[in-house]
Amino acid sequence: MSKRDRPRVCRLAGPSLIPTTMDFDFSPLIDSWRFLASGLGQTLLLSVAAVVCSFVLGLAVGLGRLYGPFWLRIPLVFYIDSMRAIPVFVVLVWIYFSVPILTGHSFAPFWAALVGITIHVAAYVAEVIRAGIVSIRKGQVQAGLALGMSRPQIIRDILLPQAIVRMLPAFGSIISVTIKDTAIAAVIAVPELMRQAETLAGETYRPIEIFSAVMIVYFVIIFPVTRLIDRFYSRVAHLGRS
Amino acid sequence: MTAFTRKNADKPPVLVYEDVRKKYGGFTALDGVSLHVNAGEVVCLIGPSGSGKSTLLRCTNALETIDSGTVRFEGKPLPKADADIRKVRQRMGMVFQSFELFPHKTALENVAIGLTTVRKLPAQAAEERARALLAKVGLADKTANYPANLSGGQQQRVAIARALAMEPHVMLFDEPTSALDPETVGEVLNVMRDLAQEGMTMIVVTHEMSFARRVANWVVVFERGRLLEEGPPQQIFEAPTVERTRDFLSHLGWDD
Repeated sequence: MSKRDRPRVCRLAGPSLIPTTMDFDFSPLIDSWRFLASGLGQTLLLSVAAVVCSFVLGLAVGLGRLYGPFWLRIPLVFYIDSMRAIPVFVVLVWIYFSVPILTGHSFAPFWAALVGITIHVAAYVAEVIRAGIVSIRKGQVQAGLALGMSRPQIIRDILLPQAIVRMLPAFGSIISVTIKDTAIAAVIAVPELMRQAETLAGETYRPIEIFSAVMIVYFVIIFPVTRLIDRFYSRVAHLGRS
Repeated sequence: MTAFTRKNADKPPVLVYEDVRKKYGGFTALDGVSLHVNAGEVVCLIGPSGSGKSTLLRCTNALETIDSGTVRFEGKPLPKADADIRKVRQRMGMVFQSFELFPHKTALENVAIGLTTVRKLPAQAAEERARALLAKVGLADKTANYPANLSGGQQQRVAIARALAMEPHVMLFDEPTSALDPETVGEVLNVMRDLAQEGMTMIVVTHEMSFARRVANWVVVFERGRLLEEGPPQQIFEAPTVERTRDFLSHLGWDD
C-alpha cells in the first residue's frame, strides 16, 4: 500500500460511518418495518401499473410498426430505437425535471416514474411483439385468408394468440426488468422501497442490514414471478408451435 | 387431340382460366395457362416440382395475384376488392401441404373458427357443425385434441373438415399427402375419394399417381408453367399423346 492511500482508508474507517467490528443491529428493520412496507406497496403498485401500461402501449406500437401506414412506421421506429439507446434513468429524470418547464404543468413523482418507465419498457415490448408475430410462418396467414377471414381477424384470432405464447419467456424477462427498474424512481423521490430504504439507512446508519433486507425483498418478489412464467410457458408451448 | 366428353360438359364450368401468366422476378411460374373445371369434376394437376401446379391453385383463390389473363369463378372474374375476394374465398376450400392447422385451437375449434369468425354463426351451431364434420372424416373421438396431439394424417383430415365447414363449391388441394408418413397417406386419400364420390368439385395438385388414375375425371400435366397435356386419366396414364408426359411418368415408375 502506498503512503498516499493510507489517510483515506483511515478516514473511511472512521467510527461514525462503519463499525470497527462487524456487529449487526437489525432493530431499525423491526422498528420501521411499516415505513419499509409502505415503500414495498408503492413498488408493487408502480410495477403492476408500469407492466400493464407498457404492455398496452407496446402492443399498439408493435402492431403499428408491423401493419401501420408508412407515415406512422417511421416515427415508431425512431421511438423504439431511441428508447433502446437512452438509459431509463435519463428518461425518468428528463420527464420529471424537463416536462414541467416545457409545459408549465408539474408531475407528481409517481406519475413521472410511471410514464418514464412505461415509455421505456413499451419499446422493448413492441419489439418482442413484432418479432413474435413475424416468427409465425406465412402458411398460418394463408390458412386464415383461405377461410375468408379478414386481416384484423387473422391478427386477433390466429397470429396474436400464437405469438403471445412464443413471447412468454421474453415477457418474463421484461416483467422482472420492469420491477427492478422501479427502484430508479428513488431518484425523483417516489417513496418506493429503495427510497424508503435509503432514508432509513441515512437515519439509522445501518446500511448493511437495511439494504440486505431490500435485496432479499426484491428477490422474493421477482424470482417466483419469472419461475412461474417459465413453468407456465413449458406447459403451453405447444399452443404456439405451428 | 381426341375429343372426350367431360363430366357436366353441358353446364357452365365452375372455374375457367384464360391465358393466366405469373412471374416471380425473373422466374416464369405460369406461362399462359388456359383450362377449365366443370362442376363435380376431380381435376388432378400433375407435373415436376416448380412446374406451376401449386401456383395455379393459389391464384384460384387469390392467395397469389396473376400478372395477366383471367380466372373466372362461377362465371365472374375474381374480384379485386378485399371484401369481395373474401366472399369468393368462402366458396373455395383449401387444403395445404403442411396442414396449417391453428396450434392454439383444438380440432373442434379449428373446424369451427371459420363459422364463428367469418360466418358469424353462434358458437353452439358452429360446434355442432364442426362435430358432424369431424365425424365425417373419421375423427369423432379427437374433437378435444390439439394439433400437437394428432398424427399427420389426422391433422390433414381436420384441415379437410375445416375447409368443408364453409360449404365450399370447390375444394383446392395443394399436395395434401406430400408431408405425410407413408402409412397415413391412405386415410387422407380415402377421405378425398369419398368427397369426390359425393360430387364435390375438386382440384388436386398431387404426386400420388395412383390417386390421380383412380379418382380423377381429368388430369392436367404441367411443365415449366405450361400445360403439357390434358385428358382423362386413361389417356394420360395409358396412352399419353405427348412424349414429355411419358418421360415424366416413367420417372415416377409409370411406364406401363
